[in-house]
Amino acid sequence: MSSTTAGKIPKRSKERKLMLLKDNLELYVLMFPALFVILVYCYIPMFGYVIAFQDYTAGAGFWGANTKWVAFKHFIKFYESIFFGRLMSNTLWLSFLNLIWGFWVPIVFALLLNEVVHTGYKKAIQTASYLPYFISMVTMCGMLISFLTTKGLINKIIVAFGGTAKPWRNLPKSFPTIYVLSNIWKSFGFNSILYISVITSVDTSLYESARLDGANRFQQAIYITIPSILPTIAIMLIMAVGSLLSANTDMILLLYVPSTYEVADVLGTFIYREGILGGKFSYTTAIGLIQSIINFLLVFVANNISDIVTGAGLF
Amino acid sequence: MSKRNPNHIKNGSVTASVIIYLILALLAIICVYPMWYTIIISISRPIAARTLDVYLLPKGLYWGSYGQLVVDKQMWICYGNTILYAGVCTIGMLATCAMCAYPLTSPLLAGKRIVVFFILIPMYFSGGLIPQYIWLSKLGMYNTRWAIIFPGIVSMWYIILVRTYFASIPESLRESARIDGANNFQILFNVYLPTSKPILAVIAIYTIVAQWNSWFAASIYLVKQNLQPLQLYLRRILILQQNLTQAMESGQGGVTSDTSEGMEQMALSADQLKYTMIVVSTLPIMVVYPFFQKYFVKGVMVGSLKG
Repeated sequence: MSSTTAGKIPKRSKERKLMLLKDNLELYVLMFPALFVILVYCYIPMFGYVIAFQDYTAGAGFWGANTKWVAFKHFIKFYESIFFGRLMSNTLWLSFLNLIWGFWVPIVFALLLNEVVHTGYKKAIQTASYLPYFISMVTMCGMLISFLTTKGLINKIIVAFGGTAKPWRNLPKSFPTIYVLSNIWKSFGFNSILYISVITSVDTSLYESARLDGANRFQQAIYITIPSILPTIAIMLIMAVGSLLSANTDMILLLYVPSTYEVADVLGTFIYREGILGGKFSYTTAIGLIQSIINFLLVFVANNISDIVTGAGLF
Repeated sequence: MSKRNPNHIKNGSVTASVIIYLILALLAIICVYPMWYTIIISISRPIAARTLDVYLLPKGLYWGSYGQLVVDKQMWICYGNTILYAGVCTIGMLATCAMCAYPLTSPLLAGKRIVVFFILIPMYFSGGLIPQYIWLSKLGMYNTRWAIIFPGIVSMWYIILVRTYFASIPESLRESARIDGANNFQILFNVYLPTSKPILAVIAIYTIVAQWNSWFAASIYLVKQNLQPLQLYLRRILILQQNLTQAMESGQGGVTSDTSEGMEQMALSADQLKYTMIVVSTLPIMVVYPFFQKYFVKGVMVGSLKG
């Protein structure tokens, strides 16, 4: 340290300490706004989890003389209710479907795009594929709801192909399909960015030598392109597993209706409905705590595995 | 035929190329068509729009639905709120990120590990919706603009991105500034910020788009309609199916304060007004996103380096 800042830091230790103190004061002043918001917005609510073990009433403190401690009452109540199984399986099932169906679309898209020779065409396709990402969730769900009505666009297409128009949004059976397809629609273009850039950075000489060996286009994709994006695929897959318990709550909130609750209700939407709208603060905080802990474990494990795979941590 | 992608796979059959081009075209159409359909319905004649039988080009041309929306005061209030939230949060975000990232690259900072952990932990474990809601309400942020702005001006993830970028700036620049007698504030503003425009642009654009499209926090904290962002106004009309025309006719629901004007536009269907509303609220993003996209691509790349 002293060697790098030799020109500035005095030799005598007392002055040197003073310099360091002044420097650190400045540095902490700079960090203060961000750290303050993180403390207030992220850390203090963590202590709010104590209300999961209380019968909290609105207006009371997190910690006070008249707090009623009830230990695991809310956890047990949730575990014994019909909602536990339903919410857990819906959350996992919708996330899982999304992972299985949504994961390979950006990869295939990137591979197909790589076959395009005309730069202008490629750019146009890419730009078009990003559009859904910039459309807001409310707008997308609004369009979707309108298109799914019996006289809406989607039913018109179905009828044109000889099917029958149905109020798809209200049918529990069709909810997972709607959820997964619209998620893919919204994000496949954006999710392909990473794959596309990895593919363009593959060493061109690999393709040339493969061609000399007589590899056709399909073989080149199988033996060169795909292996080169395999590490990226592995990391993305691990990260996706890390978010298995965080189904897209704000999308479901906009799309579901009481008739589809049985398949669409997930942990996040239940917490919103019973907690924010219904005022069952302690009960839903208990559910939120379960969700946070499982989430934490999943993300933690996923990150560690991906660190081992790539050999690089976050810091 | 313009510049060639060096890694495209040559020597392929023409049939395969044609099929690939067609599949990609189909995907592009699927991405763009819903918006196009929405636009052409919004400007078609009400008679045609009523049955939603407009597919490729608008049938007739009719701007009445836009005329009806333009006079809706509530929409403009929400529009203004969205611009305010996006602007304030972007400026705040840039400031807090740069100010917090700079010390983390300084070799002199004491307790760096602790600060880094302090920033990292909330990325893994959050306080949860309900405790956050109770706590922010206790702080008096319920039904105030602070409920949006306060959480919107800091992001742990962006701090890390900026820190990574700052770390790539040669340490010698900082040293020479120190020797010239600059303090840390001056070094940050005169040395680090000017060289970090690319990453700051990426963060600004991500923040603007996120704020423009966000609705969930506002739906929890903002009950007063005059504080709500555009997305909540949209939600009332598109999702909660509060009928715009009905609200206008009866003057209820707070959707509009302009009752008499709405009567003339009876022929307009609710659907057409909804589609018009979508176009009006999405237009700014649709116009700028082709210019934004390169920053989004850059953001993905920067994030993947350290992600």
